[in-house]
Amino acid sequence: MMDFQTLFEQNIEIITIAVYGTAIALIVIGLYAVLMKKHLVKIVIGLSIMDAGIHLLFVAVGYISGGTAPIFSPGSENAATTMVDPVPQALVLTAIVIGFAVTALALSLVIRLYKHHHTANIDQLNSLKW
Amino acid sequence: MVITPVHYIVAPLIAAFAIPLLTKIHKDAARIVPGIVLFYNVVISFFLMNHIAEHGMISETLAGWEAPWGINLVVTPFTGFLATMVSILGFIIWLYGYRFKRTLKGGEVKFYEILQMMMIAGSIGIIITGDIFNMFVFIEIVGISAFSLTAFYRSRDGAEAGFKYLLIGGFASAFLLLGILIIYTQTGTLNMAQIAERMPEVPQQMKIIALVFFLVALGIEAEMFPLNGWAPDAYSQAPSPTSATFAAVVSVAGVYALIRVVFTMFDVEGVNNYLMVMGFVTMLIAEIAAISQKNLKRMLAYSSIGQVGLILISFGIGSNLAVFGALFLMLNHSVIKSLLFMAGSYFIYNTDDKRITALNGIHKKLPIVSFFFALGSLAIIGFPPFSGFWSKFYILISAANEKYIFLIIGILLVTIIELTYYLRVVGRIYFAKEEEGEPASHRPSINALVAMSSLALFIIVIGVYPDLIMPHIQNAADALLDKTNYIQQILSVKN
Repeated sequence: MMDFQTLFEQNIEIITIAVYGTAIALIVIGLYAVLMKKHLVKIVIGLSIMDAGIHLLFVAVGYISGGTAPIFSPGSENAATTMVDPVPQALVLTAIVIGFAVTALALSLVIRLYKHHHTANIDQLNSLKW
Repeated sequence: MVITPVHYIVAPLIAAFAIPLLTKIHKDAARIVPGIVLFYNVVISFFLMNHIAEHGMISETLAGWEAPWGINLVVTPFTGFLATMVSILGFIIWLYGYRFKRTLKGGEVKFYEILQMMMIAGSIGIIITGDIFNMFVFIEIVGISAFSLTAFYRSRDGAEAGFKYLLIGGFASAFLLLGILIIYTQTGTLNMAQIAERMPEVPQQMKIIALVFFLVALGIEAEMFPLNGWAPDAYSQAPSPTSATFAAVVSVAGVYALIRVVFTMFDVEGVNNYLMVMGFVTMLIAEIAAISQKNLKRMLAYSSIGQVGLILISFGIGSNLAVFGALFLMLNHSVIKSLLFMAGSYFIYNTDDKRITALNGIHKKLPIVSFFFALGSLAIIGFPPFSGFWSKFYILISAANEKYIFLIIGILLVTIIELTYYLRVVGRIYFAKEEEGEPASHRPSINALVAMSSLALFIIVIGVYPDLIMPHIQNAADALLDKTNYIQQILSVKN
């Protein structure tokens, strides 16, 4: 029975493709949902999925093969060369918070739209036109 | 230094989160505190402008990390000029909206004031930050406040406009993140000066992909065609002081972000032509759409988009004189369009009808507001004794210098269109037969009058003595175009 670390390092190429592929697939799924779905809640979910894909892409870009967690601790002061890039992780944390706020606001607007229109179908919301 | 650029952001943030507590102590705190904070921003602006005039640009590092690693706030003559403009207009809009909001129920005033202040602080943040991801965060702060304010009146259309704006804003933030990601993988930095320094080494394809993401994302913020479908709805559904803020503050910050990214970060050939063509299309379509509008605020919104188009054209021409004209027009657009929204919303307030046909002969009921509206209309079209004339004049001269004949024809054609739809409204106000009705129920309050007359005074004074403001704009244009100096200063400054 191999331990996880060696298994991971042996299959790093497949894992890389899988992570990047998942990220891009999530972005495409999100885009599809935002553009093609008619239900407002599904559109908001699509927006969240798209954000999640971008966040995954960020973390994947910051990964360095064999890297450790980007924390300086006693005994590993010279670890900077083997750390993964901490900047994308910090960016993703910020982006997740922002995405959370946008999703919450979007859902509250959906509730309000539903109260006024008694429908959540985007085709039936057409009181504003060019 | 006692006053540093970080006060611009910290003071409004502290105040915004303190307001809910302060309202427990005094019920008018929600209205007064933003005024104090926004006035403090104006004080900071003047202090910093004086400081950079004597000692050169400021690059303030935050949290003790030097520029390429940490976030820095940059005040150059260019960013300082825009930040000053946004601060002053933010304060004037607060003054205008001070009493206006009293018609709403008490609880909501608090949220309105907080969101409005956050929107202005975020816009200043976009302008002064030197870090691309920090700019994204500020764009989101502005965005979330703007979505909420668009849906502020809990009406059917307000929610719809807010949701539309949010959806397209969500797209913008996703695209901006992807653009930042590509730039980060290629250059390994988020500092705009260092990105600009390393940009020549980036492969051309990557540069163009990243630029497209940025153009789409920031084009949405800057109301560039065809990404501006949200703007007329948001402008017309938001509370009136917020509409003025969208025109005077948020669109300025959006155009700034676009220009900073295109001019400083990227060195791609042909992007200037792209800006020029898109600006031209934006202007033409928006102005043509403005003619057919029946709703006053929508008409003003389309006119705003048209002005942004003209600003983009002028930046696209790219010569020093053209950039000068563009910055002058940004200033004029902010001031004049605020005045028009302020005056226009008093018409709507009194007639309770957003349609232009409701304005027949309203000058007898509201003589002063009608005068301000007419003045603003003439100024934005570009009649000679007003400030709007000079910006259009310089843009036309710069187009003529570069031999862009089609631009000159287009701009003059659009001026005729503007003339048509603004004078149609002014004609209705002054010469149409008055409808029977009781006298105006909501006369403008004293603070609104002070706000509007200070803007009107600015329009006339700058129209007569443009030399008062022109050196500052010239410095700003020079600072924007001098990219090497910007990079060197930021990467070498140590506080």
